[in-house]
Amino acid sequence: MTPVRIFFHKTGRAKYISHLDIYRCMQRAVKRSGLPVWYTEGFNPHMYLTFALPISLGYESICESMDFKLTEPVEFDQIVKRLNNCLPPDLQAYSAAEPVMKTEKIFWADYQIRLESENCLPEELAKSLEASCETSPLMVMKKTKKGEKEIDISPLFSCSKIQTESDGVTFRLRTRAGNEVNLNPSLVIQELEKQAKQKIFAAVTRIAILTEECKNFC
Amino acid sequence: MMMDKLNRILPLVQKPARYTGGELNSIMKDKNKIEVRFAFCFPDLYEVGMSHLGMKILYSLLNEKENVWCERVFAPGADMEAQMRQNNIPLYGLESFDPLSEFDFIGFTLQYELCYTTVLNMLDLAGLPVRSKDREELTPLVVAGGPCTCNPEPIADFIDLFMLGEGEEQLPALVELYRKAKAEGRSKKAFLMQAAKEIPGIYVPMFYDVAYRSDGAIDSVKPNEDVPFPITKAIVKNLDQVYYPDQFVVPFIETVHDRAMVEVLRGCIRGCRFCQAGFIYRPFREKNFETLNKNGRNLCDSTGYEEISLSSLSTSDYSQLEPLLDKMLTWTDESKVNLSLPSLRIDNFSEELLDKIKKVRKSGLTFAPEAGTQRMRDVINKNISEEEVLNTCKTAFEGGYTSVKLYFMMGLPTETDDDIRGIIYLAQKIVDLFYSLPTKPKGKGVNVTVSVAGFVPKPHTPFEFEPQDTMDELKRKQAILLDTVRSRKISVKYHASDVTVLEGVLARGDRKLCDVLETAWKKGCKLDSWDEFFSLERWNEAYAECGIDPAFYSNRLRSYDEILPWDHLDYGVTKAFLIRENKKAHESNTTAHCRAICSGCGANCLLGGNCFDAR
Repeated sequence: MTPVRIFFHKTGRAKYISHLDIYRCMQRAVKRSGLPVWYTEGFNPHMYLTFALPISLGYESICESMDFKLTEPVEFDQIVKRLNNCLPPDLQAYSAAEPVMKTEKIFWADYQIRLESENCLPEELAKSLEASCETSPLMVMKKTKKGEKEIDISPLFSCSKIQTESDGVTFRLRTRAGNEVNLNPSLVIQELEKQAKQKIFAAVTRIAILTEECKNFC
Repeated sequence: MMMDKLNRILPLVQKPARYTGGELNSIMKDKNKIEVRFAFCFPDLYEVGMSHLGMKILYSLLNEKENVWCERVFAPGADMEAQMRQNNIPLYGLESFDPLSEFDFIGFTLQYELCYTTVLNMLDLAGLPVRSKDREELTPLVVAGGPCTCNPEPIADFIDLFMLGEGEEQLPALVELYRKAKAEGRSKKAFLMQAAKEIPGIYVPMFYDVAYRSDGAIDSVKPNEDVPFPITKAIVKNLDQVYYPDQFVVPFIETVHDRAMVEVLRGCIRGCRFCQAGFIYRPFREKNFETLNKNGRNLCDSTGYEEISLSSLSTSDYSQLEPLLDKMLTWTDESKVNLSLPSLRIDNFSEELLDKIKKVRKSGLTFAPEAGTQRMRDVINKNISEEEVLNTCKTAFEGGYTSVKLYFMMGLPTETDDDIRGIIYLAQKIVDLFYSLPTKPKGKGVNVTVSVAGFVPKPHTPFEFEPQDTMDELKRKQAILLDTVRSRKISVKYHASDVTVLEGVLARGDRKLCDVLETAWKKGCKLDSWDEFFSLERWNEAYAECGIDPAFYSNRLRSYDEILPWDHLDYGVTKAFLIRENKKAHESNTTAHCRAICSGCGANCLLGGNCFDAR
């Protein structure tokens, strides 16, 4: 059995597809591709797909990963090619390889974010963004399965490359990611909205998933 | 530009993937190379519309043409509509994101009467006047097809042109005629006239005047131009050679029917007297099993679906069902595809058939006896006996099934309270049968679900003359039904009767209802088939404001010689036949199915010969 990890992007229209729907879409794509995928051997055989860190609904990503097993080896570039023939244009694989790291290795995620607000000058937005980065502790309300909880997010993120444009602000956000500690960029944006007392529109793209040593997850 | 606007609102709505297109097999084209743009509108939510086979066929068919681009449009949910209106985003095509007003055709499929208000709402969301007469230009042309066009009168003032019958040949002809008319700069009226004259099944309401008697019934329907009268529906004579898509758009989100489908046959040999589909889709035509096998295989390959259904009004009446199943099972098994047969009849449900379906997956079994007593079943010409129902259940129980769902109707013509109680007695007999079987599945109880819908008399059926039960009467009968249940193994489900009555009014309505429809829509009615949207109050206000008594349409017995609002629309089946069948119903006499003996309904004229001998 050959384990395979593919990386794909989820951009444009596809960013509005929920994880559950991506799962079904990928199952069908793998099926159409005719790849010799391994099915579970239970009462109701189905293919077994694993996603390392599924992106939130509404965000784009150029670094989504999906693992599955093949019953016989296929050349990796063939896997990419065959899958892409069966995937819509906004969901396309760009690499396939044997998995190197376990998903527990995931520690950081990098996002490229663009903020806009109708009633707030870009300079002001940039200023409150910088201020948030320097505030410690930075207490925000986080919704969990058990209800709301106040947590300090200041050690969980950092910002860089803050650039002011005529109608918005762009910046790079690095947040803790993974199974143990995970900070969704929405909490940072929510905090900015609170400070600016304005609705902020954010376009978010995840650009990298990293280990603790800041190596690309692979 | 549109994507930019949508990015602002989509994060705020439920299931945003309903509104973004981009699915596998959705068709993108360069609009600069397109001569005719067609917006195929389904007046309900994405999940419902994307399950509809007719839309899939016509979408692929139109897009086969290089110079035509057909896109899909669905009704937005309430949250999305509010955001669209607030942010001035017009209704748009899911492929190009272009507003509907930029299309040449805005084509609605009318699958059920309760979608009419949604049609108006979608036109309004597109920024168009809802009334045909207020849209003076040729473009965009608002057209409609689907089963409800067999009586489109309640929506006649809003639609420029109706397409009666089957679209596979008619629609491309209409699009081509339009392309020429647009290139030649013809007026809307000139184009409509030419379409009505040259293309089979085209009904342009404004070319026909309706006069009423003082009692509200129709005095006459007369053409006011040189156009066909009556208007005869279009059919595809050779179903085996009809276009069938080898790709379906595969939705990202779950839809009502998210699976591959092949259409096994069209029409129905049975002639159940309540069933509109059983008459308006006549004559009966089948596809060859080799063709179907190929259709099905292509679709599964191109979509990756894990389920394929054999669709038709009555799949067990398909003469080549066994060879078809044998052929399909050779590949469905190994590619892990489930085969589903949604429409089986009780009387020809064999053990072998059960075995074949069981190979794939065991789900519940659903049958439709439709009525609880033999007398009632004879009246509606549902030619099955209690013995057959019990035998089928026995076969199913012995095959390991423990759950059976039965469909019934209440409010049928000549129905008595005993007929209502008979529904539960029949269910009880099935429960008793289960426990009497020595071979019953061990350690399991039985579950008989009785689902009861209110009967709605429909045009082009032998019951088109009949009064519908009032709401009070339906509620009274529901109480009797619940009261008769003595076993916890029987669960009863029934539909809300308020909606049933509205459906009845719209189904047999005339053009006077156009005002009611517009008034109700202006009061906020839309998506009436959804409980959370339906408001009886608003409809009642609309009736009152327009001086219309809904009982005139729903609860009135029509005489055989009354001119009915749809009498000028010829669906092949003659009124003389419907009257004959109606009389037989009142005598509790049945009519044999078409394969046994031709009962002379008239639909064979559409083929130009006999339905069965011709092949």
